[in-house]
Amino acid sequence: MKAVDDLSIEIAEGETLVLLGTSGSGKTTTMKMINRLIETTSGEILIDGRDIRRQDPIQLRRKIGYAIQHIGLFPHMTVAENIAVVPKLLGWAVGRIDKQITALLTMVGLEHGEFRDRYPVQLSGGQRQRVGVARTLAADPPIILMDEPFGALDPITREQLQNEFIELQSEIKKTIIFVTHDVFEAVKMGDRIALIDSGRLQQLDTPGKLVESPANSFVAQFLGQHRFQLSLLTMTVKAIMPKMNEEVPSPDESVPSPHLRARSSMIEALDMFKETKEVTLPVYEQKQYIGNLEKSRLIEAITQVLGQSGDSQ
Amino acid sequence: MLSATYEHVYLVFFAMLIATVLALSGGVYLTRCRRPKLISVILGIAGSIQTIPSLALIAFIVVFFSFLGLPTIGTVPAMVALVLYALLPILRNTYTGIRQVDTSIIEVAIGMGMKPNQILLSIELPLSLTVIMAGIRISTVWTIGVATLCGLIGAGGLGDLIMQGLRSIQLDYLLAGTLPAAALALVCDWILGLVEKWLTPEGLRIDT
Repeated sequence: MKAVDDLSIEIAEGETLVLLGTSGSGKTTTMKMINRLIETTSGEILIDGRDIRRQDPIQLRRKIGYAIQHIGLFPHMTVAENIAVVPKLLGWAVGRIDKQITALLTMVGLEHGEFRDRYPVQLSGGQRQRVGVARTLAADPPIILMDEPFGALDPITREQLQNEFIELQSEIKKTIIFVTHDVFEAVKMGDRIALIDSGRLQQLDTPGKLVESPANSFVAQFLGQHRFQLSLLTMTVKAIMPKMNEEVPSPDESVPSPHLRARSSMIEALDMFKETKEVTLPVYEQKQYIGNLEKSRLIEAITQVLGQSGDSQ
Repeated sequence: MLSATYEHVYLVFFAMLIATVLALSGGVYLTRCRRPKLISVILGIAGSIQTIPSLALIAFIVVFFSFLGLPTIGTVPAMVALVLYALLPILRNTYTGIRQVDTSIIEVAIGMGMKPNQILLSIELPLSLTVIMAGIRISTVWTIGVATLCGLIGAGGLGDLIMQGLRSIQLDYLLAGTLPAAALALVCDWILGLVEKWLTPEGLRIDT
């Protein structure tokens, strides 16, 4: 029996690829083959076109960030010492390490003066995970592996960290391979999702396409009863926008007003309508106005999706 | 009495030094060993040595040495006996201490690109220090006790005074032997306790 059987994926630079599957699906094994914690028995893995089996595994690992579910902070080291581990292994100068620690702690939202010298035992779960993320980014690796990094947190902290991480992703632009069994986390965090079962790739697609067109019965079953919710989370405002009417003037942009982004999900759009109590909102794509979305149109689209989800049982 | 104490300390100190070096390296080796049978055999042997009454072990060594033509009285056989006795607590504690380090921490250390001896020195040993030190403390106190029996084979030390006192039922000899021995044990335990505290990384000392 093979843990990973038939898997071919090409990951683009700067992409966040989610490996999604149930326990034992082979997703974690796949990820661990990338930094050679587990060695492949056949097939090959290339990073920047170079076979990783020809590289020294230890040097390889120092250039790949690695974050696990239980965080694994070294309890006998301070926050600063934890973060400094890989930079020290790479021989960075002390001053450079120091600056990096300050920058990273600030990036993950921890006040650096306060947290630098604390020990993991003195931190909350959420704080520990933030330090874990900082530690993963410490040596500025181009590739990061994350194995259910938010899994050990309570749902509220988890959601908060997911949101913060998404913002971080857009700033740091790293190639991230993210393992999870949570389909909601997958559609939220991933640019593309690789759904794996029994070591085989079932579908590799963007979240939207995965939800909209499941490739086979396994995928459909995996999405199961969550399909409607997932549709709301993955379908974008852009998809339901009417054609732009040339005569509609752009709204007055000197006054900040509530608006939607073209890539906001339908759920986010609903939230915005609810909060602002408007019946129509302007939509922007990359700061360019592309029209208004009527609340009624949104509701109609949602009803349609509901109808579709029901029929495709 | 002072010279006896000095001899005693000399015996114990060097025995502990040798035993600690042997047992620490042995313990580390065992944690890397992939043959569980070998591990239990080694721990078993060390354990059995401990169960042999100290007097019997000393006697056994004397006989064994005489066979081999090695000195049967004096410091050498005494040292051998003491080292053998001191091994088990340190060996076992080193082994279990390192084994109980959280495997996810080790996994992260490997995943980050630490080399095996970096992992040993900066992760495994600091985190198992308390357990290892406990073994060294127990061993030391015990060795101080066993060393008193070495008076029987002419190794000197406080055991000498105790034996003399027993033979001639003279209280002052007895006291001259037992009191320093007890004091020595207490003081060593206390000092080692301080050493343990000094070596324990701060992150593990904090009471939350």
